Amino acid sequence: MGKTILEVKDLTTKYITRFREDVYAVDHVSLSLEEGKSLGIAGESGCGKSTLALSLMGYYFPPLHYVSGEIIIDGKNISKMDPDTIRKNILGKEIAYIPQAAMNALNPTQRIISFIEDVIHAHYPEMSRKEIYESARKRFEELNLSPAVLEKYPVELSGGMKQRTVIAISTILSPKVLIADEPSSALDVTSQKMVIRMLKNLMEKGYIKSMIFITHELPLLYNVTDDIMVMYAGQIVEKSTAKDMIFDPIHPYSKGLMGSIIVPEAGARNTKLTAIPGTPPNLKKPPAGCRFAERCKYAFNECKANAVGLKDFDEGRSYRCLIDSARLREVYKNEQQ
Amino acid sequence: MKGYRKYFAKKLLWFFLTLIIAFVLNFVLPRLMPADPIANIMSRTARGINESAATRAMYENYVKAFGLDKPAIVQFTTYVRNAFRGDFGQSFSQYPRKVNDIISNAILWTIGLQMPAIIVGWLLGNILGALAAYIRKGFDKLLMPLSLFLSCVPAFGMAVILLGLFAVKLKIFPVAGGYGFDLIPTFSWKFIKSILLHYQLPFWSIVIISIGGQAIGMRSMSIYELNADYVKYSRYLGVKDRKIVRYVFRNAMLPQVTGLALSLGTMVGGALVAETVFSYPGLGTTILKAVTASDYPLLSAATLIITIMVLVANFAIDIIYGLIDPRVKATQFE
Repeated sequence: MGKTILEVKDLTTKYITRFREDVYAVDHVSLSLEEGKSLGIAGESGCGKSTLALSLMGYYFPPLHYVSGEIIIDGKNISKMDPDTIRKNILGKEIAYIPQAAMNALNPTQRIISFIEDVIHAHYPEMSRKEIYESARKRFEELNLSPAVLEKYPVELSGGMKQRTVIAISTILSPKVLIADEPSSALDVTSQKMVIRMLKNLMEKGYIKSMIFITHELPLLYNVTDDIMVMYAGQIVEKSTAKDMIFDPIHPYSKGLMGSIIVPEAGARNTKLTAIPGTPPNLKKPPAGCRFAERCKYAFNECKANAVGLKDFDEGRSYRCLIDSARLREVYKNEQQ
Repeated sequence: MKGYRKYFAKKLLWFFLTLIIAFVLNFVLPRLMPADPIANIMSRTARGINESAATRAMYENYVKAFGLDKPAIVQFTTYVRNAFRGDFGQSFSQYPRKVNDIISNAILWTIGLQMPAIIVGWLLGNILGALAAYIRKGFDKLLMPLSLFLSCVPAFGMAVILLGLFAVKLKIFPVAGGYGFDLIPTFSWKFIKSILLHYQLPFWSIVIISIGGQAIGMRSMSIYELNADYVKYSRYLGVKDRKIVRYVFRNAMLPQVTGLALSLGTMVGGALVAETVFSYPGLGTTILKAVTASDYPLLSAATLIITIMVLVANFAIDIIYGLIDPRVKATQFE
């Protein structure tokens, strides 16, 4: 067991809408991440993945608000820190973020190096511009990015290049945790591969100690991350290793997600693709019972009545369902035949 | 750099093409007005002369002196030749004053009034708009309707309101003119004080109406930029608010720069109203007088000046914009 880098306990955050309604987009989420490990978060759009990414940084601004729970990064509990301290000492330095839309993540009228200066100066005001330039150049070279990029404006970079530049900027201060929110979803396959290689490279060189990778592309997670967590309607519905999640999903939702994709493995030709009917529930008024019950084909009366907690099963795995894991496996097996 | 040069060569070519067309139109359009300029002068000069032979002789003399008996094309070539030498001939309505003399006098008043007014209005409007976007809440709720109201008030309306309130009712400021009509232009304190007093009402009438539109534009641009992805990203990297605010307002300002340059270019045209209401001795009043008197040479020269100012402003925007916005520069290079 490696050292725990990130520990999240019962984190709950909410959006307050324009009409003063509370939307709990992250509902009692707990997770932990060890040094050198990466965690994938999967789920449909609107199920709280990106909100979880933002919530994990411990810095909230409207419409996102903190409700309860703890975030501990490398032994430091940041959920009790005041926002200014978090901004100065935690963001970018301990935990960093790669936004979903890297295309627009950079100020269009600023050279890349000038933005890097602003980022570094926010944490190390004493560093000179020359030192910053040198360290940025070195880091870019190590990540196989041309240092010429530093002098450019965002418009002068291609989409893939922009994405990799954003990754390099996010990790310039060697944060302990990197949260990548769909870093490759808007890219072509070649650029995607380069982005993934770059993230792996960052891990191997130790510039980041751990990573949370959010995506809706499950096959990608299988290749990139050690563990996978599936989210539904703001809650975790299943947690397990990447391999188990892909080949042996237990929760009906995970099962549905995995059934809707092809994992590039032997025998993939014979798999039939299925879709999950319906859409995720409106989080303004979440259902009282199991949130997936409405769309679940195995649901029975009790599912809709009472909330379901996260249960452990097998080794180190957990899921949120009333039906016993062994029973579910049996059902899935029968269906296949 | 080569692409840049090519871009500007092309722009320059269009610049001159537009100028030539405008030059021709400036000559032709005033002459299409259904009026007889000589009759206008005659009504002034031949007053009291009853002998019809004498008035006829005077009339023909004027027609000959102004070259109006020659065919239009000859008039035009003469006009072009003289214009290239910087000579726009003599004014009909203020005969025998030279057009150059009239315009150079008037334009100083206009620039002196309009340039500071437009710049002050632009600055105030942008500052207020940016603050409204940044503070929101009550300030925004108060400023927005006020700005909308101000931007809808026509220029002459604001001028008349100010005139009625401060000049007629409260008698703080003079009603009309550029300086006291009993004064002779000299560098004396009395004269400067008189100029400043006469300056206030036309100045503020222009400032106030331009604040509204600028504030609305800047507010919506700033709100748009404040919600841009790069703001969120910069925050999550711990970049200081002071820096982020600078990014936002710099980007929000960019379209506003175009607005400033354009309104500086069209200031002479816009001057007409404020100057007319206050009888300010600027180019606007001059143009109005020239129109009513069918004063071809004066009208042609005045409109030519407006044309050149608009064209220069447009050309300047193109150059400046490429320098301050890398996105525009990128398209210029293509």
